[in-house]
Amino acid sequence: MAASAAPSPPSDSGAQPGDAWSAGPELAVRSQELDKIFSNGFQALRKVDLAVGKGEVVVIMGPSGSGKSTLIRTFNGLETIQGGHLEVLGHHLDADNNQKVVSKIRRHVGMVFQQFNLFPHLSILENVTLAPIWVQKRDRQKVKKDALALLDHVGIREQANKYPSQLSGGQQQRVAIARSLALSPRLMLFDEPTSALDPEKVKEVLETIRTLAAEGMTMVVVTHEVGFAREVADRVVFMDEGMIVEEASPQTFFTDPKEERSKLFLSRIL
Amino acid sequence: MAESSRSRRHRLLLTLRRNLFASPLDGLITLVLLAVCGSGLWFLMHWALIKADWAVVYENVCLYFNGIFPADHVWRSWSWLAVLAALCGLTLWPWPLPRPLMRLLPLLWILSLPIGLVLLASGLGLEPVRSRFWGGLQLTLLLTLGTIALALPLGILLALGRRSSLPLLRWLCTSYIELIRGVPLIAVLFFGQLMIPLFLPEGWTFSRVLRAVLSLGFFVAAYMAEDVRGGLQALPRTQLEAARSLGLSPLKTITLVELPQALRIALPALANQCVASVQNTSLLAYLGLIELLGISRSILANPSYLGRHLEVYLWLALLYWAVCILMTSLARRLERTLNVTGHH
Ligand SMILES: Nc1ncnc2c1ncn2[C@@H]1O[C@H](COP(=O)(O)OP(=O)(O)OP(=O)(O)O)[C@@H](O)[C@H]1O
Ligand SMILES: [Mg+2]
Repeated sequence: MAASAAPSPPSDSGAQPGDAWSAGPELAVRSQELDKIFSNGFQALRKVDLAVGKGEVVVIMGPSGSGKSTLIRTFNGLETIQGGHLEVLGHHLDADNNQKVVSKIRRHVGMVFQQFNLFPHLSILENVTLAPIWVQKRDRQKVKKDALALLDHVGIREQANKYPSQLSGGQQQRVAIARSLALSPRLMLFDEPTSALDPEKVKEVLETIRTLAAEGMTMVVVTHEVGFAREVADRVVFMDEGMIVEEASPQTFFTDPKEERSKLFLSRIL
Repeated sequence: MAESSRSRRHRLLLTLRRNLFASPLDGLITLVLLAVCGSGLWFLMHWALIKADWAVVYENVCLYFNGIFPADHVWRSWSWLAVLAALCGLTLWPWPLPRPLMRLLPLLWILSLPIGLVLLASGLGLEPVRSRFWGGLQLTLLLTLGTIALALPLGILLALGRRSSLPLLRWLCTSYIELIRGVPLIAVLFFGQLMIPLFLPEGWTFSRVLRAVLSLGFFVAAYMAEDVRGGLQALPRTQLEAARSLGLSPLKTITLVELPQALRIALPALANQCVASVQNTSLLAYLGLIELLGISRSILANPSYLGRHLEVYLWLALLYWAVCILMTSLARRLERTLNVTGHH
């Protein structure tokens, strides 16, 4: 409650970069000179500048170890940052991640992982209703109805009473998406959502994400699915060694990349 | 038909020969073992049926079960034992039970201890009975349930404390666990019986039973903490990240995501601790409690049962064994129920 007494515009963080920097209403994420240094001294992000507009779909690509996961994990406070500025949905994150700010951000940011990370001891329905009931403290009956509608939306309503281990990978990943959507997020982060799936299951999950994009959801997607990126992304961001090497529209990036490293990468995956 | 049955018999003989008489030495060993087991069994049966005098057991059934509980109140002790037996029966019932009853079972188990305290001590208009009149199997079970009721929550807290991010808390919990695990139980029990009164403010007294439960509980908690910690460590870090990403607070992450899974993993080890606790209560016979072993020792001290040790201890072994078998089956049952509703 004390937090809401603080000034609501994101001007309460320690380091004040001035008005010029503030992300403004049209941006969902903005990072400036973002540095991530792990406790073992390894620097995974080097001065990353990135802006994600509301309603925009940004695809991040790059070789393994380039810092893609680390970058999107800073967006919901799973990783702290060591330098630079980061603003997510109007909330400032800085080096000493304020727990209150982080939990505010998490209420509006959904995250989907490569390994689904469903809760194995809860049924599909309970997985989806857990956060609305315990985080948003909404009415159980209403939450349950909404959850079933969401499961219907991602095409697994019939499985609502099963347990995660009884579902295929593709179905589990769709449940994970529904679980995030249950909190009505304003930003969705996807970390290689199809990399752990059998080839024939990739399509159903991408289809679900594509529908979301069509509905206007703001999304940052780490993926190597070129077809998906071409069709859905508004922008492709190419990372290497903790830096953003190139940013372009999918059209330009896949047909006419500027940087040598992008060309090398594309020659390997295309 | 005849052909196949003969060939089956033939195969059986072959198997027997291969497993028991493969070589002359094997054959010899088999024969010697058969002779030893056979004569042992024959001796035991001969003793139990002809030489033994079981009067020491059947004349004192009430003592073994209820101790020296006052005669006009002994129905209360019997009722509690009956409640426990009924709960065991319901839980182990192999055929489907009505759903509401199934839902109620965990609650009934939790209530079994307070119900026991009311029946044995006083309350609900029952006349008070001092705890020094408690005894026999009833006291053994009370001590066991009390120990578990104290040790399990405490063990969980210790396990959580041990991996806390607060250095002082972590250090305290770790030291406690390591300290207790380095001390023999009998020392802890003596400490509890003799030292707890010294630390209590003037005018406070704890009954022996309460002191015993406290010392047993604090002892077992250290072991349970390690089992729970093992369960917590077995969880992938990603579970925690998923919970955090959904905005669950650290406390809710623990109670809704981590503990339910960790306890499930730790269940067999925890059940083991519970069975060990039953047997550990018998040490209290040496500290003046008349639980199952204690009451048996007083019965044996009665001159009319002179030299009936073997009968009494065999009977005791049977009782302890029955209690432990029951607890193991309960634990296995719980494991099975949990596995049906989740995991694997
Ligand atoms: N907790 C950590 N401590 C130290 N180094 C880490 C940690 N997590 C990641 N790293 C390192 O940071 C770098 C970036 O990791 P990250 O997971 O962001 O890469 P990625 O681009 O997502 O790769 P991939 O495609 O394999 O998922 C890697 O070199 C990795 O080894
Ligand atoms: Mg990654």
